[in-house]
Amino acid sequence: MDWQLIWLFLQQGVASGLVTGSIYALLAVAIVIIFKTTDAPNFAAGELFMAAAYVALYLLVFLALPFIAVVPLSLGVAFIAAALFYRIVLQKIGSSAAVTVNVVIATLGLSFVLKGAVRKTGVGDVPRSFPSIFGNDTITIGQAVLTLQDIGILALAVVSMTIFFLFFNFTRTGRAMRAVGMNPKAAVLVGINLRRTRMLIWGLSGLLSSLAALLIAPKILMTADMGSVVILGFAAAIIGGFTSLPGAVLGGLIIGIAENLVGLFISSRAISVAPFVAIMLVLVLRPQGLLGGKVAVKKV
Amino acid sequence: MKTMFRAALTGLVLAGAAGFAAQAFPIKAGQGSYSDPGITDDTIKIGLFAPLSGAALAYGEDPLNAARMWYDMINGMGGIWGRKVELVIEDDRCNANDLVAAVKKLVEQDKVFMLNGGSCSAAAVAAQEYVTRAKIPYMMLNASGDGALYPPTDYIFGAASISQRAAGGTTVDFASRHLKGKKIGYINHDDAYGAWNLETAQFTAKESGATLSVESINPNITDVTAPMLKIRAANPDVLILTTYARPATLIVKKAHELGMKMPIVLAVTGTANLKQLVENVGTKDAFKNFYVQDVINDTPTGPKQKWVIDMYKKRYPEMAAKPDHPTPYMPYGIPSAQTVTNALLLAGPNPTREGVARIMRSLTFESGVMAGLISYGETDRAGQESSIFLKFDGDKQDLQPGTYVSRWVYKP
Repeated sequence: MDWQLIWLFLQQGVASGLVTGSIYALLAVAIVIIFKTTDAPNFAAGELFMAAAYVALYLLVFLALPFIAVVPLSLGVAFIAAALFYRIVLQKIGSSAAVTVNVVIATLGLSFVLKGAVRKTGVGDVPRSFPSIFGNDTITIGQAVLTLQDIGILALAVVSMTIFFLFFNFTRTGRAMRAVGMNPKAAVLVGINLRRTRMLIWGLSGLLSSLAALLIAPKILMTADMGSVVILGFAAAIIGGFTSLPGAVLGGLIIGIAENLVGLFISSRAISVAPFVAIMLVLVLRPQGLLGGKVAVKKV
Repeated sequence: MKTMFRAALTGLVLAGAAGFAAQAFPIKAGQGSYSDPGITDDTIKIGLFAPLSGAALAYGEDPLNAARMWYDMINGMGGIWGRKVELVIEDDRCNANDLVAAVKKLVEQDKVFMLNGGSCSAAAVAAQEYVTRAKIPYMMLNASGDGALYPPTDYIFGAASISQRAAGGTTVDFASRHLKGKKIGYINHDDAYGAWNLETAQFTAKESGATLSVESINPNITDVTAPMLKIRAANPDVLILTTYARPATLIVKKAHELGMKMPIVLAVTGTANLKQLVENVGTKDAFKNFYVQDVINDTPTGPKQKWVIDMYKKRYPEMAAKPDHPTPYMPYGIPSAQTVTNALLLAGPNPTREGVARIMRSLTFESGVMAGLISYGETDRAGQESSIFLKFDGDKQDLQPGTYVSRWVYKP
C-alpha cells in the first residue's frame, strides 16, 4: 500500500467515520440520559429509533405529508410515546422492589412490542429507502467523497448536540434533569418534581432517537431490524463513560472512525469487531470510560 | 398444462423410469400395511414448511405457494400411485430453533412420511442432525443449505434453486467469460454462507486465469465505505456481489457515489425485489452497467416461465393481484416439490422412507422451470447448479446468452 493510498484512506475513513459516528453519538446521548436518571440501560432505544423511522416513513410516503411537517410530527410522536411509556409503565415499576431489573425487563418488553408492531404492518419485511432531505449529490473535501446527505447528517447532529448541551447547562429544566441524575433524593428536597422530570427525560431520549433515525435512515435502509445499530450507541456510551454526555459524543465519533480505519487498514471482516475491541481496551485501561470521571463506590 | 406434463414426465424419462411413467399417476396402490408412518392406501403425508411470517417471509411464502400448487396439480391428476398428497404446513420463521421445532412436530406429532421445506440456509442446516438420526428424507424448499449438503448424507437434499457454491462459481464464470474480467472484485458475507460461495468463486477464478479481490462484510453492515474504497483501489474489471439485498443496495449506492463504472454482477441472493432495489438506490444511473444472476430458464416474464406464472395466477388470484407478486423466488418451489413427487413415483406403489431416499440420491430430471437439470448423485446433494444472467438497466431485464454451469465438484 503506497503513501498516496494511505492518505486517501485516512481522509475518507475519518470523514465517513465522523458522519456515522455522529449518529452513534446521538444514540449514545439518548442512552446515557436515561441511564443517568434511572440507573438502568434502555434496551428499547434501538426499537424506538426504528419505530420513529417508520412513523416518519408512514407520514412521508403513505400520508404524503411534506418534510417540513414530517420532521416535527415524527419528533413529537417519539417524544410523547417515550414519555408515555415512562408514565404508564415505568412509574408503576418504580414503586416495586428490584427496580433496576424490572426497568430493564420493561424496556426489553417494549423493544419486542415495537418490533412486532412494525413487522405486523408488513412494511418492515423488505429493506426500504427513506428519502434524503439533502439529496445524494457528492462533494469532494480533500480526496474524501461525501454526499450532501453526509454533510447534512454531520451538521445537524453537531447542532442538535450543541442545543442539548446548552439545554442541560443553561436552562432550569435541564439543570433539574442533571440534578435528578446526580442525586434524586436531594433533587426532590429542593423542589424538583421527580416524576415529571424523568418523564421529560424519557421524552427527550425518544426525540433524540427519532432525530438519529431521520438522519441515518436514508443511508442505512430501513428494516424492522435496523434498531440493532443501537448496539454501537451502547458501545459509544461505554467508551465515553456511561454517565458522561460529552463522553458519549466522543465515544460515538471514535467508534465511527475506528470502524472505517479498521476496515480500510486491517480487514472488512474486522469492522463489526472493532467497536467491541475498543470497549475492551477502554474497560481494561480506563474502566470508568474516557470522560467518565473517577469510579464511585456506592454506599449501601 | 402440456408444459407441466412435459416437466413431470421428462423427469421420469431422465430418471430411467419411462416404462411406467405414462401410467404412473392414476394407478391405485395396493392395499396393505406400511412400515413407515404418514402413508395409507389413499394418502401420503408431507411436511411442508417455510418462513411464513417475519422479515424473511419474502424468501419463503411464494416458494411454498409454488410447491403447494404443484402438489395440488399432482392430486388433481389422481395423486401418486393413487395416493393423494396430504400437506401439513408449518411456519419456520427462518430461524434455526423454530425450524427444528417445526420438523420435530411434523415428524413426531403429525407423523409425516417425508419433509419438504426451508428457505433459509442456516435454519435448514440446523435440522441436519435430527433428520439424519431419524432417517427421514428431507428435501429443502429453496434454501441453498450447502452446510447440510456437503459432505453428503443419505437423507438430506437441497439447493433446488441453486447451491451457494454454484452461485459463487457461476457468477465468476460469467464475469470471466462474458464480461472478459481478469481482475474481479468480489464482496461476500463474512459468514458460512459467504464462505461457501467464495470457495467455488476462488476455484473458478483460478481455472479461468482471473484474480479475485475479496472483501467479506458483515450482513448487518451500516457503512460500506471501507470495503468499497478497497475495491476501488484494486481497480477490478468487474465487481461481483453475493450479499443479501440490503448490503447489496448500500454497495451499489456507494459505487455510484464513488464514481465506480465497472460492471456489477449481483448474485441471486440479492435479487428478491429489483424494483425495490432501484427505489432504494435512488437512481437508475447506478444500473447502467448492471447484471443480475438468475437460476430459472428464462426472464421472469419470458415464455418458458409462462406456465408457472399462469398456474400461480389461477391457483392464487388474490396473491397474484398484490404488487410485486408472484415474487422472483416463487418458481423455486416447483423443482423442490417435483423432486419429492418424482422420487415417490419412482419408489413404486409401496414406498418406504429408505427407498425414497435411495431414489433421490440418483434422481435427475428436467424441471421445465430452472436454468439447468435437477440432478443428484452419490456425492452431490445440490439439485440445481446452473445460472443465467440478465442485464438490468433499472427497468428492463435482457437475457444474456448462455447458461453457466458450476464446474466445482465435491471431493470427499
